Amino acid sequence: MRTASATMAAALAAAAILMSCPPADAAGTVKIGILWPLTGNAAAAGQASKAAAEVAADIVNNKHPELADLPLAATEGLPNQGGAKLELTFVDHQGNPSLAQQLATRLITQDAVHVLLGAYQSSCSFTATAVAERYGIPFMVGESAALNITGRGFKWVFRSTPIASDYAATYMRFFDDLKKEGKKIASIAVVNENTDYGTSVADSIEVAAKKNNLPVAIRIPYSASSTDVTAQVLQLKEKQPDVVIFISYTSDSILYMKAMKNLDYMPPMVIGDDTGFSDPSFIPAVADIAQGAMNRSAWDIGKPGSTTYKINEMYKAKTGRDLDDTSGRNMQGFLVLADALNRAGSTEPEKIRDALAKTDLKPEQLMMGYNGVKFDATGQNTLASTYLIQLRDKQYQLVWPEKAATTKLDWPMKGWKQ
Amino acid sequence: MKWSLPALAALLLFYPFILTGPFYWDIGVAFLLAAISASAWNIVGGYAGQVSVGHSMFFGVGAYTPLLFYHLWGLPPVAGVPAGMLVSLALAVAIGMPTFRLQGHYFSMATIAVAELIRIFVGTWDLVGAAIGLQGPAVGRAWWDLTFRSELPYYYIFLAVLAVVLYTTFEVERSRFGYYLRAIKAGERAARSLGVPVRATKLKALMLSAVFTSVAGSLYSIKTGFIDPESGFGILVSVQMVIVAALGGAATLFGPLIGALLLVPLQTATNTWFGGGGSGLTYILYGGIIVLLARFEPGGMHEWWQHVAPRLMRRSHAA
Repeated sequence: MRTASATMAAALAAAAILMSCPPADAAGTVKIGILWPLTGNAAAAGQASKAAAEVAADIVNNKHPELADLPLAATEGLPNQGGAKLELTFVDHQGNPSLAQQLATRLITQDAVHVLLGAYQSSCSFTATAVAERYGIPFMVGESAALNITGRGFKWVFRSTPIASDYAATYMRFFDDLKKEGKKIASIAVVNENTDYGTSVADSIEVAAKKNNLPVAIRIPYSASSTDVTAQVLQLKEKQPDVVIFISYTSDSILYMKAMKNLDYMPPMVIGDDTGFSDPSFIPAVADIAQGAMNRSAWDIGKPGSTTYKINEMYKAKTGRDLDDTSGRNMQGFLVLADALNRAGSTEPEKIRDALAKTDLKPEQLMMGYNGVKFDATGQNTLASTYLIQLRDKQYQLVWPEKAATTKLDWPMKGWKQ
Repeated sequence: MKWSLPALAALLLFYPFILTGPFYWDIGVAFLLAAISASAWNIVGGYAGQVSVGHSMFFGVGAYTPLLFYHLWGLPPVAGVPAGMLVSLALAVAIGMPTFRLQGHYFSMATIAVAELIRIFVGTWDLVGAAIGLQGPAVGRAWWDLTFRSELPYYYIFLAVLAVVLYTTFEVERSRFGYYLRAIKAGERAARSLGVPVRATKLKALMLSAVFTSVAGSLYSIKTGFIDPESGFGILVSVQMVIVAALGGAATLFGPLIGALLLVPLQTATNTWFGGGGSGLTYILYGGIIVLLARFEPGGMHEWWQHVAPRLMRRSHAA
């Protein structure tokens, strides 16, 4: 036992050496601490968002007169803070809520960041925002869907992205528009993967449908790691809903499309709730059998020459891929934060918080298709909304709402029957 | 070497004053939690040699009950701790009775299966927040909510629990019960032929281990203020306990402590240095070190030191 405690003394010394890592400091900069999953299950989303945040920092820190619609793009740095540049510190919480809590503490107390952005998984946003609240540091949630991240009585937490209830409301408005055109929407079906994302969106859709007197013919929760979904598709086939909404991750949404073809079942319309349907591998895998499938996205690349198009070009030059909705919403959160940091004219937390609370961005000042950014008392953006897009050949086209649409909606979907 | 135990105790007691600041305290808390869980696991996994890879079931139960008490009835989370211990105890009996018929790998596999079943079940059970999980009070209503802004109170609460777990293990080690456990580990049939009540002893060990693991879970969720199926019942929770104990030296009193002392700062340091780059280097380095240790010192750091220390001693005497 004596040797054991001696081992421990040696280990303690080693531990002390391992832990002493000096924090960096630089003058004339505003520090943004960013918590995302850069490894683990959701690494792809975290990595893509990291690249998007770097593009956003480039837009703010350097002169980009070609993007003059966006606040802070034309100028260098933050004009109201003497041209101070944004300095980003990324941390990897690996999708672990406890680690997210520890890293938020580290960013605030060691790295002395002025604001925080994050944290993708709702579970990590829950714990990281609580730390920010305790320390009184503004926290912007760029994209986490769980309802009660805002609305816990927190003073320091803001969320720019639309959330589950906004998505549900969007679908209901879309159905209303369809009914006005004389299309039959007698019932819908909801198919959701059974973790927090799928569950919270599906719950919201059920609530909204009930309010709109729209029968939900069937709700099918399933595990995203399923390797066979024949039984689920047969259930759908039996109920014959007019629209099937999938809240799915990547491999499972591909699996569903293939199973539907194999069982020769095609509802009038399939709507994917972003995520799996937006994944870069979805289109190459099933484009020829899922023609006309719809998807939600607040991001649209737009016509050549438009601001969004130019942003996409910058992102593409960096990563080789088009910007996607998830990273786009995170990037928008970053830009909203930058706008508030500039208006605060100071790095004092109270002033930044006040500036955030007074945020009032118009649709044309945004890169995402929100109706604006304006926070309510809980910190939730009241003007957040989303587009609906439809798969044509190998690309999604914006089809709803009508005033933003670039292409007319195809109804019913063609699927594999072309 | 007489100084080493009191020196260690003093170091742990005064650590928050040696490395000050919330981040270092938080690492201290993470270290203590890993040490408590691994020490709890060590009773049945180390001493009795019954390698459970499903201890997350007890951790999860302990983690859920405090937040469930808060969520359902608005009670202070700490009120749920005894309930968690009781449920874990019952679970240990229910699981131990059938699975202890199995030996070696089969026992490990059965524990994984049960823990995974519970994880999936909890993930669809609305009462406990299903897939979304449960939250604690974001800002404490009073001290008894144990929701502190500072990490310091957590550090000393966790340290006190660790002391209790280690003292219990120490007593077990010296008792007849402890000898039974080691006899079972060395050879179950031989132990039985010598009159060791094998089933009862294993079950007792599992019950003791389950209660302590449950407390570790409760400490985790009260401190984090959030629990979901993955962070409570996920297989990584179980694996972490096994790795920490094995790395430091399973079936030794201080092995889990040594393992945690190495692993937690290593995790934190690799994440601090390389995590932000997003290259995954964190895992490569972390995994690499574990592989090296497993290859060259499967007995853990404790055994390695026992080889090295006498040689060092001799050299210093010679000099």
